[in-house]
Amino acid sequence: MSAVVSPIREPLITGGKSYHDITEDICSPTEKTPNLAWVIAFIISVAFLGLFVFTVLWTVWYGIGTWNLNRTIGWGWDITNFVWWIGIGHAGTLISAILLLFRQKWRTGVNRAAEAMTIFAVICAGQFPLIHMGRIWLAFFIFPYPNTRGPLWPNFNSPLLWDVFAISTYFTVSLLFWYTGLVPDLATLRDRSKGLRRKIYNFFSFGWTGAAKHWQRFESLSLVLAGLATPLVLSVHTIVSFDFATSVIPGWHTTIFPPYFVAGAIFSGFAMVQTLMIITRKVLNLQDYITLQHIESMNKVILLTGMIVGTAYLTELFVAWYSGYIYEQYAFYNRVFGPYYWAYIGMMSCNVLSPQIFWFKKMRRSVVVTFLMSIFVNIGMWFERFVIIGTTLARDYLPSSWSYYVPTWVEIGIFLGTLGLFFTLYLIFTRVAPVVAVAEVKSILKSSGDQYTGPNAHQQAAVQKEKAAE
Amino acid sequence: MEQKKNNQKDIWIGTDQLSNDPAYQEISNREFTELPVTDQLTEGKALDTSSNRRDFLKYLGFGLGAATIASSCDIPVKKAIPYVVKPDEIVPGVASYYASSFVRGGDYCPVLVKTREGRPIKVEGNSLSSLTRGGTSARAQASVLSLYDTSRITGPFRIVDGRIDKPRRGMGPGWNEIDEEITGQLNSNAQIRILGNTNMSPTTDKAIADFTAQFPNTQVVMYDPVSSSALLQANEQSFGQFAVPDYHFDKARVIVSFDADFLGTWISPVEYAADYIRNRKIKDISKAEMSRHYQVENHMSLTGSNADNRILVKPSEQGAAIVALYNAIAAERGGQRVSGPSLPDTAAGKIQRMARDLLDNVGNSLVVSGSNNVGEQVLVNAINAMLDNYGRTLDFTHASQQRRGNDQDLQALIREMNNGGVDAIFIMDGANPAYDIPNADEFRSGMEQVGLKVTFTGDPNETLALCDYVTPTHHYLESWGDVMPKKGHYSLIQPTITPLFRTRQSEESLLRWAGSDQLNKEAEQPYLEYLKAHWESAIFPQQNQFATFRSFWDSTLHDGIFEMTQPEVTEYAFGGDVAQAARQVRQPSGAELEISFPESVQMGGGQYANNPWLQEMPDPINRCVWGNYLAIPVGWDGGNNFTSFKSLNQREARGEADVVEVDIIGRVQPATCVRQFGQMHGTLSLALGYGRENTGQMGRALGERVGVSVYPWLSIDENGNTQYYATVSSVSEKVDTDSMFACVQYHHTMGVKGVDPETGDTINVDEKASMAIAEGYQGGITERSIIFKANLKEVQDLAHHIEEHREEAAHLNDATLYPYEEYKEKYYSQGHHWGMHVDLNACIGCGACQVACVAENNVPIVGKDEVARHHEMTWLRIDRYFYGDYENPNVVYQPMMCQHCDNAPCENVCPVNAVNHSSEGLNQMIYNRCIGTRYCANNCPYKVRRFNWLDYTTADMFPANEYTVNDEELPFGADNLTRMVLNPDVTVRSRGVMEKCTFCVQRLQEGKLTAKRESRRLRDEDVKTACQTACPTGAIVFGDFNNQDGPLNEMLIDNPLNYLVLEEINTQTAVNYSAKINNRDEELDA
Repeated sequence: MSAVVSPIREPLITGGKSYHDITEDICSPTEKTPNLAWVIAFIISVAFLGLFVFTVLWTVWYGIGTWNLNRTIGWGWDITNFVWWIGIGHAGTLISAILLLFRQKWRTGVNRAAEAMTIFAVICAGQFPLIHMGRIWLAFFIFPYPNTRGPLWPNFNSPLLWDVFAISTYFTVSLLFWYTGLVPDLATLRDRSKGLRRKIYNFFSFGWTGAAKHWQRFESLSLVLAGLATPLVLSVHTIVSFDFATSVIPGWHTTIFPPYFVAGAIFSGFAMVQTLMIITRKVLNLQDYITLQHIESMNKVILLTGMIVGTAYLTELFVAWYSGYIYEQYAFYNRVFGPYYWAYIGMMSCNVLSPQIFWFKKMRRSVVVTFLMSIFVNIGMWFERFVIIGTTLARDYLPSSWSYYVPTWVEIGIFLGTLGLFFTLYLIFTRVAPVVAVAEVKSILKSSGDQYTGPNAHQQAAVQKEKAAE
Repeated sequence: MEQKKNNQKDIWIGTDQLSNDPAYQEISNREFTELPVTDQLTEGKALDTSSNRRDFLKYLGFGLGAATIASSCDIPVKKAIPYVVKPDEIVPGVASYYASSFVRGGDYCPVLVKTREGRPIKVEGNSLSSLTRGGTSARAQASVLSLYDTSRITGPFRIVDGRIDKPRRGMGPGWNEIDEEITGQLNSNAQIRILGNTNMSPTTDKAIADFTAQFPNTQVVMYDPVSSSALLQANEQSFGQFAVPDYHFDKARVIVSFDADFLGTWISPVEYAADYIRNRKIKDISKAEMSRHYQVENHMSLTGSNADNRILVKPSEQGAAIVALYNAIAAERGGQRVSGPSLPDTAAGKIQRMARDLLDNVGNSLVVSGSNNVGEQVLVNAINAMLDNYGRTLDFTHASQQRRGNDQDLQALIREMNNGGVDAIFIMDGANPAYDIPNADEFRSGMEQVGLKVTFTGDPNETLALCDYVTPTHHYLESWGDVMPKKGHYSLIQPTITPLFRTRQSEESLLRWAGSDQLNKEAEQPYLEYLKAHWESAIFPQQNQFATFRSFWDSTLHDGIFEMTQPEVTEYAFGGDVAQAARQVRQPSGAELEISFPESVQMGGGQYANNPWLQEMPDPINRCVWGNYLAIPVGWDGGNNFTSFKSLNQREARGEADVVEVDIIGRVQPATCVRQFGQMHGTLSLALGYGRENTGQMGRALGERVGVSVYPWLSIDENGNTQYYATVSSVSEKVDTDSMFACVQYHHTMGVKGVDPETGDTINVDEKASMAIAEGYQGGITERSIIFKANLKEVQDLAHHIEEHREEAAHLNDATLYPYEEYKEKYYSQGHHWGMHVDLNACIGCGACQVACVAENNVPIVGKDEVARHHEMTWLRIDRYFYGDYENPNVVYQPMMCQHCDNAPCENVCPVNAVNHSSEGLNQMIYNRCIGTRYCANNCPYKVRRFNWLDYTTADMFPANEYTVNDEELPFGADNLTRMVLNPDVTVRSRGVMEKCTFCVQRLQEGKLTAKRESRRLRDEDVKTACQTACPTGAIVFGDFNNQDGPLNEMLIDNPLNYLVLEEINTQTAVNYSAKINNRDEELDA
């Protein structure tokens, strides 16, 4: 740490790394035998994945009646989890795409893992619209495929159909974006490996040689995909929010939902990135690449989006009161004071109150606080979706049909199971691909005007000093 | 040529690079050249695929193999066997209707039985009957299912050790064998008793008379589980008529009912409801008139829920209340004053005020009592006599036969049996005295003294276990028979299917055992001949419409009923002793806590326990299913955890309820509680007819008894009459939690007012109770546009309020890019536009429509567990809302079914177009297309869509996951017998599919085909929905909006009380409601 450190701009990578160090640091976890922590984590994750498979099979075999949904509450944990996962799946693409367009260089430290998280979260989210169907074996009905049933197409008016398109597009673009970024790094891994590993990486790196032309195409494609992905970040959750906003149910039927959902998604996505990155940087020793500055920057985003979300909550309450519309008023009164009041309290305290701690720089830069907060926000955002879905459906227009809902073990199992799916995928990812974008991180090792800070930097500096003295 | 060593040691791209080929060097230096992609494409190289013929064969092989394995899974074979010789009257796909009569004990309903391919699947009311005018009851609607009950007794059997002695294999004993054994035990001097419930059949009476001719020491004893014995005795005392009078609720402007649930259960509810409602419908609000109905009771009965005013008195104070009314009337009408027990002051004041109302309507009033106390009934007769009501609102011209049971006879029989004075007892049809009488244990011990015990029951019951033989009679849908429910009203029962099992009509069995020469044993249908012979000799001569018996018989069989005028009874000399009667009335117990045991609309006295349609029909008041629930007054704190407003909804909404132990006369039983608005403080109530022990498999919920039997808690008064109330010794603290509290609607009200114990303000109780924290949002429920209601005096204000509301809704709904009027004009101006009208003022909440809908539309039964999880499947439900004072509220019932919105929220959200709109305004559900996202159900403001959570109908391909209602061995819907009740016109829905009311689209289709065949346009009068035809009060009218002169528009046009539920959300519903009007005397409670 001998380089000249600007008091204003902290270096994005600390530890006086050379380019080679970067390669070594980031690639080595994929090359060594996994440590005990990884093995334990993997066993637990796979166990939960097994639970997922079991509970899903149980549901499909016996029917949705194995859940506690009922004639009043048609969606519960299933769609809550769906929206929650989709929300989590926002940070990756936001970091990659929007921050790329805004030329936020610090993104390079976290974008790879965040994008991977996005993809895995979308995979988890995508399970629920399928599982929650009463007849999953007919799920293909939702695709506009040519059929022999006469001109029978899906209902293009249905927000659920929009979901299908929005999510599949988002997933595709995110996957492409992620993979594009992976190609140079996979080539690096290929170059470092032998035998079968080499063959595999050779295949997946698409013959990358690092030629200038490749870089030029890489940059162009990244930019194009960033341009495509940016509106998608906004559109996916907007469309998910349409599931609710276009309905007639008081508490769902609100125009505020699209921006509110997007803000909430970024909020929860960043929280999940924090959760994962704090563990990853520690376990894989990447503190120099994912620095406190990253954590602080993301905490700032969390603070901002948390307040947007909080504003939305208050706006909803205000609009309900101001509308003079009895059903809307009751729906929100019920949210706060009704039988699900605890969910509302959970949502408010985790999402609106607790992030306020990030007004303090010390807190923003505290790893422990950040980790706890990221968990809080994840819980709070889950509660938010539950409040919107469960509480609203439990009491709508006709008091005769009001109901209450608690999940069965199957529903809880499926949720825990998707966590297993997510972490299994993530843990595999940490073993097979660099969790930090090696090539991109190298690009920010030196800022403009930086001195070389690699090996023998002292010597050189001494030589320079001597020369200067002469 | 020796290769030059490459300086790039590790990576090379190809031999070109290794060999440093100059051409390659050149290319690699020109880094930004483009590959000639287009060139390659034009040469077709890019299209070259690596798949070849071998791959194709591999894929084909795998595909075929996989398909073969998948398709070799065992698929159950369903057999359908066509007719070899087609019967003339059966056209496949076309229903035949046969007139018949539903009879079970004293329950009677003239019906048309719909049969398809020779099997009865539905009953409709017989509109030719002047008694019911086409109405039905839930019990009649459900009766068709008990024909296909898998636990029916399949033939004559011996009973050994309380169990049917069924051989492991084979058929069991034949009729000849059993007949011989029974006749072998009879001798002409034997003391034979024939015990049964009310018998209304003249031919059965004749058969018993013929039997008695052979066995002169035969006596017939009739009793009813829910007895009107005191009423009969009182009428004998007062007028010399051992009969129920003919009540005319339509002619009464003031109706007073002392605990008589005449709309729900009392004697002939379908008939009374049809009459009652004639004075309660509001046609023209400018001259709105209604009868006023007072109900004096302690619990909320169905009738009480429809009453304008309820006067709450404890069960033991009923006598005092009747005495008070008697004296008040006598004071004005010059009757003899009597002295009897006195009432608490508040109730007495109300009785005085009520008496004033009666006195203002002399000759136009009617007082009835459900009491089983002779003194009370005599006083009620005296009151009616003083009010000159005889001959006007009640008479004996068409005296009713619908209750003939005499409790005194039953008690005499039990004594006789215990004294060993009975040699043989024959228990008719479904009578079940081992269960449904207060001293069943004495009956049981008496049975041990009887030599020969035979029951004719068709399904297992408690009495069967005490008998020696069971010789099952037919179900009524397999029987010949006749009914005389009232003098001059005759009705025939005809079989609509050949007997499914080896059963034999009980009358035929009796006649065979008697060896009567009246029965032609060789005939193909001996009892039919016997019946015809009796009609020819006894009934045909009474009439003068038909010249020949044949035309008389054919016409009556065709119509199902025959009504003849009777000599009018005009003289009513009241001959009762009122002073004596006043001494006989119930004495107030003075106990802190009393309990009443009302009959429930579903279970009757328990005889319907094996019918899952009735078990799963929600109680009209507490909305619970599969059991009886101890009704506790709201706010009562009898030392228990029953706090008032706060815990009203919270825990019950989680499907949990308290279980307490109730101690009555030393017998302790646990009961699940339900907090009941309208339950008088200091009283409880628990319905009769539950807790059956020996039933078929559907009479039990998950292997357990359904509810609690209250019969052991009943008592017998000094006249030998059963009393349906008791003093409660104690109610324990909560001992357990019932986690399967199967209730389809909790307390939710339309603004029940009460005083908040915390603040002392008068508030809407439920609005507070529905909140977990804070004070509750006043107006949050009451101001919804779901129910419009008013007092008769405020009907003009209400009409104005509705008009204002509808104008505002129209204004809101105009703010759209898609104006509804244009849409309506475009799509519906041609053809039909179906709609419905429901008159909330006419709906009494009896539930007949709901069971009719279940029967018509193959709606599955889901069982107690599933209802507790709110998985009930009913397409039509009756929402019950309380309003007014929380201790003594009024009730409004709202039948709620798919509203067939023209701007339906469910339609646009379905991703696969499984929900769409027909060109006739029907909201259509395509089961095949449904993938089960449930979005439509979420988005339905009326919450009428129902999802097949599990495989309720066993329609899945694989049997392993079939759903059982009650842990039965073969799932309820899966056995071939039960499936015979299914309506073949309606798809049986499989798991994972959404369903809902279709406006009986199959009936619409049938009507269209009929119209087409007759080359005419479909008239909307042709098509009636199942709920409409079932309704005893005509509250539901279905029709075509486009038919300006049709029945629907008759109800809609110029009806200012008409409104749409939630009109302001622009769903443009097709179901119209008209507001509920009550005629409550507000000052009575002031």
